[in-house]
Amino acid sequence: MDKKQLKEILDTALLNGGDFAEIFIEHKETTSIGCEDRKIERINSGIDAGAGIRVISGDSTAYAFTNILTEKSLQALAQVTSKAAKSGKNKSAIDFTTPKPLVEFNIELRPDKVSVEEKVEKVKAADTAARSVDEKIQQVSVGYGDVRQNITIANSEGIFVEDERIRTRFICNAIASDGSSIQTGFSSLGGTQGFEIFKERDPKEMGIESAQRALLMLSAKPCPSGKMAVVMASEAGGTMVHEACGHGLEADLVQKSLSVYAKKRGQKVASDLVTVIDDATMPYKYGSFRYDDEGTVGQKNVLIKNGVLENYMYDRLTAGKEGRKSSGNGRRESYKERPIPRMTNTYIASGKDEPEDIIKSTKKGILVRKMGGGQVNTTNGDYVFDVAEGYLIENGEITSAVKGATLAGNGPDTLQMVEMVGNDLGFAIGTCGKEGQGAPVSDAQPTMKIKELTVGGTGGNGPEINRDFKIRRM
Amino acid sequence: MALNDFLKLGTKALEKALKIGADNAEVFLLNARDFNIQVANQNIDTIKLAEERGLGIRVFKDRRMGFSYTSDLNDTAVDRVVEQALANSLNTAHDEYLTLAEKMENYPTLDLFDQEISQKSVEEKIELAKEIENYAKKYDSRIKITERAAYEDSQYEIWIMNSLGLNGYYQGAYCGGYALVVGEEKGENQTGFGMQYSLKYKSLNPEIIGTDAGRRAVRLLGATSISSQKAPIVLEPYIATNFLGIISPALSAEAVDKGKSFFKGKTNKRVASDLVTLIDDGQMDDRVLSAPFDGEGVPTSKTVLVEQGVLKGYMHNTYTAKKAGLKSTGNGVRGSYRSTPEVGSTNFYLAPGEIDPQQMIKEIDKGLYVTDVMGMHTANPISGDFSLGASGIWIENGELTRPVRGIAIAGNLQELLGNIDGVSNDLTFFVGKGAPTIKINNISISGS
Repeated sequence: MDKKQLKEILDTALLNGGDFAEIFIEHKETTSIGCEDRKIERINSGIDAGAGIRVISGDSTAYAFTNILTEKSLQALAQVTSKAAKSGKNKSAIDFTTPKPLVEFNIELRPDKVSVEEKVEKVKAADTAARSVDEKIQQVSVGYGDVRQNITIANSEGIFVEDERIRTRFICNAIASDGSSIQTGFSSLGGTQGFEIFKERDPKEMGIESAQRALLMLSAKPCPSGKMAVVMASEAGGTMVHEACGHGLEADLVQKSLSVYAKKRGQKVASDLVTVIDDATMPYKYGSFRYDDEGTVGQKNVLIKNGVLENYMYDRLTAGKEGRKSSGNGRRESYKERPIPRMTNTYIASGKDEPEDIIKSTKKGILVRKMGGGQVNTTNGDYVFDVAEGYLIENGEITSAVKGATLAGNGPDTLQMVEMVGNDLGFAIGTCGKEGQGAPVSDAQPTMKIKELTVGGTGGNGPEINRDFKIRRM
Repeated sequence: MALNDFLKLGTKALEKALKIGADNAEVFLLNARDFNIQVANQNIDTIKLAEERGLGIRVFKDRRMGFSYTSDLNDTAVDRVVEQALANSLNTAHDEYLTLAEKMENYPTLDLFDQEISQKSVEEKIELAKEIENYAKKYDSRIKITERAAYEDSQYEIWIMNSLGLNGYYQGAYCGGYALVVGEEKGENQTGFGMQYSLKYKSLNPEIIGTDAGRRAVRLLGATSISSQKAPIVLEPYIATNFLGIISPALSAEAVDKGKSFFKGKTNKRVASDLVTLIDDGQMDDRVLSAPFDGEGVPTSKTVLVEQGVLKGYMHNTYTAKKAGLKSTGNGVRGSYRSTPEVGSTNFYLAPGEIDPQQMIKEIDKGLYVTDVMGMHTANPISGDFSLGASGIWIENGELTRPVRGIAIAGNLQELLGNIDGVSNDLTFFVGKGAPTIKINNISISGS
């Protein structure tokens, strides 16, 4: 599809009026490898290609997609979406321009240039390493996945963007059993990178790490319940920041008053020690990109600065409602979905404290060294997440490992209760779900001490249909 | 593409696979049209129309399997994925149980395609979504925000064919409506939802959907905590289906084979109280996940997995069935043309009992009627351990009294199944999972 054809399609989409029209064309090739029971069970690969056309007219959006990528079919699609428009301008911009991105990714080893054998080798290495740790390791599953996504975005405001995104991920899950109890451990890696990602971490190491974590949990004591201090190690990842405030700072939820952070711009919402940033431009992170899925340049946005709410995360639609510019957070899972405001790489900025001092200062509490999945009810801010690796802290010392811990709290309350922030920073990757759309994200935090959370689990209500904000660790 | 073109395309892909050296092959084709409308404050927020098609091919070579898919159905692209599937098979493990479904002469005839879904105008469907919102708002003056009210439908055709001569086709459609609204009182917000999915346009009832959403959005307003204690809990059907969402994967033969299920080694043993019967039925009338055959072309069936508390068997696809020396139960489920058929549930439900839910509550001195849980996806399907945030309504002397939140219920699924003490007669489905109201004894509730 050349620029002239794209412009004609946009003109058709605006035939009956409308404020904005956009076409998103995607061609995605994926490979995934799964190993379980010591066997390479599956190698799947494929092509998913299609286009979505969007027309915004006032507050209404019309969206249609097809995976028949002929000009005729796209014109027909534009016709369909044009019917929803009631009024507004009906001409698109005359010339397309392409904004300059703030970050570039240099992919050293493109996944399509690496043989299936080499990919399989990494998977087998992790499997063998995990199984060799201990005979109590009963099952190991290892997954490798790469995605090569080529997109073209053109809109009636004259934006034209073409991009290629390459992502690779790797996960190892181990199951340990001593006959009476079963525990699991996992280790994961992911980035906007090609096969060179394995220079960063050896699959063997990840296999061993997952097995050791499962074994540790096997010998762990049940976690005590009640309210207590919680120290989150930097390597725990950022599920807490993702759930406790990230989702609540997405502008669609804020504008619909579905977030506890609505109408709080400029207000103190967290302890002075807390600065929260969402940054799509971090080199090679799993949630990074040059352009978001609306062709807006990916950027670094300070959401909370020293405890004060500075900004929300916007896509075009929500930004337009407030007469602002998109913050580059408009993302979609594929051509099948319209974009919505989403996180990218979200983190709490490092502070001044030494991580050891933070533990030493804790009389009684829980140390979270690895977080599991989580969920938030943005309407009231209540969240939960589970602890994949946790320990008791007694009189400033890490004592025994504990299993089965769930942490629950309220987002705004938790952020006010941050007492110490370490000078380190650790990342974790995940797939964030919102309105049924998955998005690759990463999140991070320094070692942090929170005065008091409910351990063992408590929370509020959250329906799990169509609007659950869950993050699955992978 | 016409119906016949899909058939030709599939046949050609099969022939190509055999020609380039596959021992066997299987093609899955999908052609679908989806429609979705979301309204808020009686305005159209989003209207979405989709057409999707694609092909997935499994090839078998020396008892190794390779898979590839494409949404691009032109000859070159299809040729390329057939070759890719064969190439993928060269690196997977040799497995003597890998097999295809045998040719079937006849499939059950199910009523899956309601013409009305495609015949109703877009305007009528928009009206339905608006009505849902109206009923939700009408329910209570404290309903202040509509996150959205929606109508959606899907019409699809599925083909499956393999080199053993199997050839299946069916056409289906479903529709649904839902609402998400927020109740507000004294600065406190609670979300409520209502939903219905059906094979029949006529059976969608905007009043039920809207009223449910409204009721759920206000019933917990003003909730407080309770003190920690052991007490019976009553799960409303939706919450019971949330638990089934964790239990059903544990009843897949694949999870059991791999040591990933707490049901392993328990066939013909008691795994739940005798009030518990769990069934997977891919042929139920008017159920959204019903189909004549599964993702491998095996006829779906009604499988009793747990009968009066005793484990009878697991859900199988052709692979796990062959491994166990059994027949596939028709549970080789495909998420889309982009994935291989994996063991999964169809319409999975807890069979209803006889007691009315109201009567069940009446017989409780003190207990918790659970209406919302949080963190269900963090429950451990292998050990069965769970710890959930919960809210609900406190039961005292057989009456629902005051709303409570900020509490946790923790335990183990195996114990929970054993402690089910009441199963009522109000079986309700939420898409693929169905359950009646149930009562569970002796649950640790941690409060303030």
